[in-house]
Amino acid sequence: MTSTMKTITLKGSAELVAEFFSFGINSILFQRGIYPPETFSIISHYDMSLQFTTDPKLKNYLTNVVSQLKEWLFECTVQKLVLVITGLETNEVLERWQFDIECDKSAKESSTPREKSIKTIQDEIRSVLRQVTATVTFLPLLDTPCAFDLLVYTDKDQIVPEKWEESGPQMIDQSEEVRLRSFTTTIHKVNSSVAYKRNNSA
Amino acid sequence: MDSEDDTTVLTTLKSFNSFISDSEKNLTEPPGCSFRHQFKRSMDVLDATERAQSKKRCLQLDHEKKRMEVSHKRARYELEKAASDRARELEHEMGRSQDLLGKIIRLEEREADAVKNLSEQMETNRALRKNVIGLTKKLEERDLSLNTVNQTVSTLKDEIRELKQKIQNKDSTISAQSLENQEMQERLDLQHRKYQEVYQLCQTLQAAESICSEHVVKIKELERRLALQEQDMAVVTTVKLEVEKVPELENEVKRLQEENNFLSDITENFRLMEEEVEGLRRKLERMEKTKEDLVKMELQKERLAEKLQAWENLQQSTGLNIRKPDDLSREVVQIQQREIALKEQNYTLNSRVRNVERMQTELHAELSYQCSRTVEEQKKRETQEALVRRLQKRILLLTKERDGMRAILESYDSELAATDYSPQLTKRLKEAEEMLQKTQSHNAEMEVQLSKTQEEMTTLRLQLQAMEAELQSVKKQQASAGDSSSLLDREEVDNLRQKIEELEAERQRLEEQNNILEMRLERHNLQGDYDPVRTRVLHFKMNPTTVAKQQRQQEVEALREEVTHLRELVRSLQDLGRSPEDPRLHISNLSLSLPPSKEVQAVVQCHRLEVFISLCYRGDGLERH
Repeated sequence: MTSTMKTITLKGSAELVAEFFSFGINSILFQRGIYPPETFSIISHYDMSLQFTTDPKLKNYLTNVVSQLKEWLFECTVQKLVLVITGLETNEVLERWQFDIECDKSAKESSTPREKSIKTIQDEIRSVLRQVTATVTFLPLLDTPCAFDLLVYTDKDQIVPEKWEESGPQMIDQSEEVRLRSFTTTIHKVNSSVAYKRNNSA
Repeated sequence: MDSEDDTTVLTTLKSFNSFISDSEKNLTEPPGCSFRHQFKRSMDVLDATERAQSKKRCLQLDHEKKRMEVSHKRARYELEKAASDRARELEHEMGRSQDLLGKIIRLEEREADAVKNLSEQMETNRALRKNVIGLTKKLEERDLSLNTVNQTVSTLKDEIRELKQKIQNKDSTISAQSLENQEMQERLDLQHRKYQEVYQLCQTLQAAESICSEHVVKIKELERRLALQEQDMAVVTTVKLEVEKVPELENEVKRLQEENNFLSDITENFRLMEEEVEGLRRKLERMEKTKEDLVKMELQKERLAEKLQAWENLQQSTGLNIRKPDDLSREVVQIQQREIALKEQNYTLNSRVRNVERMQTELHAELSYQCSRTVEEQKKRETQEALVRRLQKRILLLTKERDGMRAILESYDSELAATDYSPQLTKRLKEAEEMLQKTQSHNAEMEVQLSKTQEEMTTLRLQLQAMEAELQSVKKQQASAGDSSSLLDREEVDNLRQKIEELEAERQRLEEQNNILEMRLERHNLQGDYDPVRTRVLHFKMNPTTVAKQQRQQEVEALREEVTHLRELVRSLQDLGRSPEDPRLHISNLSLSLPPSKEVQAVVQCHRLEVFISLCYRGDGLERH
C-alpha cells in the first residue's frame, strides 16, 4: 500500500488497522518488558523505528490473531481489542491496554472509497504509538514474571473459529484508567486507553 | 267428551237464564212458594241432567265394550292362525333335524375309521422315517469318504501334472542351454579370427600414422611461414597508405580544434545568458506579486474607508447617539432587552389564546352533551305521554266494566236477598274493586312520574339556555382577548410560570444525573465492562498466558517431585543409620525443613555444590581436596 494514495477502501482500512495492532502490541510487549529485549529487533515503519519480536512462537501467535482480526475488521463485527498483562505468581491482572474500534457499517454496503490519504492516517498512527511509548513512564513497574493475552470483543452472533474460545473480560480490581489518542480511517476509528492496578502504597 | 261437557254447561246456562226469566214473570206469586218451586224445578233439572249424563256414559261404555270384544275376537283368531302356522313349521323343522342327526352319526363313524387309518399310517411313516434317516446317515458317511478320496486323488493328479510340467520345462531349458552353448562357441571362434585380422590392420595403420604425422608437421610449418609473409606484406601496404594521409589529417585536426574553441565560447555565453534570463524572470515575478499586493491593499483601503464612513454616518442613518463601540454595544443590549420583553409578551399571549381555545373546546363538548341529553329527555317524555294515554284508555275501559258489573250485581242483589250465591258475588265484587284500586294507584304513579319528567325537562331547558349564554359571552371574550386582562388570566400565567420554573429545575437535575451516569458508563467501558447480550469476548486457546501457566505448573510439579524424591532419600539414609554430621544428611535436613519453592531450589543447589566440592564428586575444574 503506497503512502501517496488519497482514498481508502474497507479492505485497505482493515489492513491498516491490523498493521497498527501488530506494531502496537510488539511495542507494548517491548516497553513493558514482558519478553527479553534481546528477542526484539528494530524495524522502520510509519517513518519511525519500532521494535518487533523475533521469537518464532510469539510471531506465530501474533500472526494468527492479527489475521483473524483483519477478517473481523472487514466484516465490521469486532468492537474491542484488549491486551491483558497478568502476573504469573499471583494470577492477578496488572494492566489492560484497550483499543475500542468503531466501524462505519455503511462502508460495507457501498464500495466507493473514502477520501482520506494514507499518509494522514499513518501520521495519526505514529502519534498514537509515540504516546504509548511515553505512557510507560508513569505506569507502575512490573517486577514480577508476567504473561499477556489478547482478548477480542465481537458481536454476539459472531461464529467462534476452531482455535478460539470464549473468555471473561479479565478486569482489574481497583484500577486507574487513562485515555490516549485515537486515529481514524473514516471507516474504522480506534480509541486507545490503558488501565493499570492502583498502587496502594502511593 | 269435552264437547259434550260444553253442551251440558250451555244447556244448564240456558235453563238458568230461562229460570231467571221465569222468575221475573212470576213476580206476582208470593216470594216463599215461588222460590220453593223454582228450587224444586232446578233440583229436578239437575237430576235429569245427571241421569242423562249417566245414561249417556253407560251407552258409551257399552259401545266401547262391544268394540273391544270384536277386537278381542279378531286378535284371538289371528293368534290361533299364527299358532297353527308355527306348529306346521315346527314339525317341518323337526323332520329336518332328524335327517341331519342321522347324517351326523354316519359322519362320526366315518371319522372314527379315518382316524384309525391315519394313526396306522403315522406309525408306518415313523418307521419309514427312521429307516430313511439311518440310510441317509450311511449315505452321508459314504459321500464324505468318497469326497475325501476324490480330493486326495485330485491333489495327487495335480501334483503329478506339476511334476511333469516341471520335468518338461527342465528338459526344454537344458536343450536351449545346450544350443546356446554351441552358438557361443561358434561366436567365440569367429571373434578370435576377427581379432587376429584387426590386430594386423592396427599394426599397418600405426605405421601409416607415424608417416602422416611427420608430413602434417612439415605442412604446418610451411603454412605458418606463409602466413607471416602475408602479414608482413599487408603491414607494409597499410603503412604506405597512412604515410600518404598524414598531412591531410594534420590539417583536419587543426580545423577541428578551432571549431571546438569557438563552440566552447558559445556555450559559455549561452550559460551566462540563461542566468541573466532567470534573474530577470524572478524580478518580474516579484514585481507582479508586489503589484497584486498593492491592488489588494488598495481594495482593502477602500473597504476600510467605506466602513469608516459608514461608522461615521451610523449616527445619521440610525438616529442613535453612537460615537463609540461602547455606545453601539449599549444600543444592542437595549434592543435585545426589548426583544426579550416582546417575546415574553408574545409567549403570554400565546398561552392565553391556547387556554381560551381549550375552554372553547370544553364548552363545545359540554354543549353537545347537553343537547344529546335534551334529545333523550324529549324521547322519554314522548314515551311517557304515550304510556299515560294508554293508561287513560285502560282506566276508561275498566270503569265501564265496573259500571257493568255493578249493574249486574245490583240486579242480582235486588232479586236474590239471602241466597247461597251472595258470597260468590261479593267475592267477585271485592276482586273487581281491588282491581279498580290497583289501576287507580298505577294511574296516580304514572301521573307523578310524568310531572317529574316535565320538571326535569324544564330544568334542562334552563341549563341549556344558560350554556348558550355562556358560549356567547366566551365568544365575545375571545374577540376582545388582546385588550382584556382578567384576574383569572394573571393567576393562570403566574401558575404556569411557577410550573415552568419547577420543570426547568427538574430538567437541570436530570441532566446532571444523566451526565453522572454517562461518566460512570464510560468508566465501566474503560475498565472493560460489556453487555453480554450484544457482545462476547474471545481469545486464542493457546495464548501466551495459558502456555506460561502450564509451564509454571509443570515446573512446580517437577520441583515437588524432586522434593519428594529427596525426602525419600533422606528417610532411607536415616533408616540406614548414617552419622548426623554427614553433610549429605545436613542437606536433606535442610531440604526437609525449608518450604518447596525456587528459593529452596537455589539453597539446595548451593548445598549440593558444597557437598560435591567437599566430597570431590564434581569434575569440572574445581579444586580437589
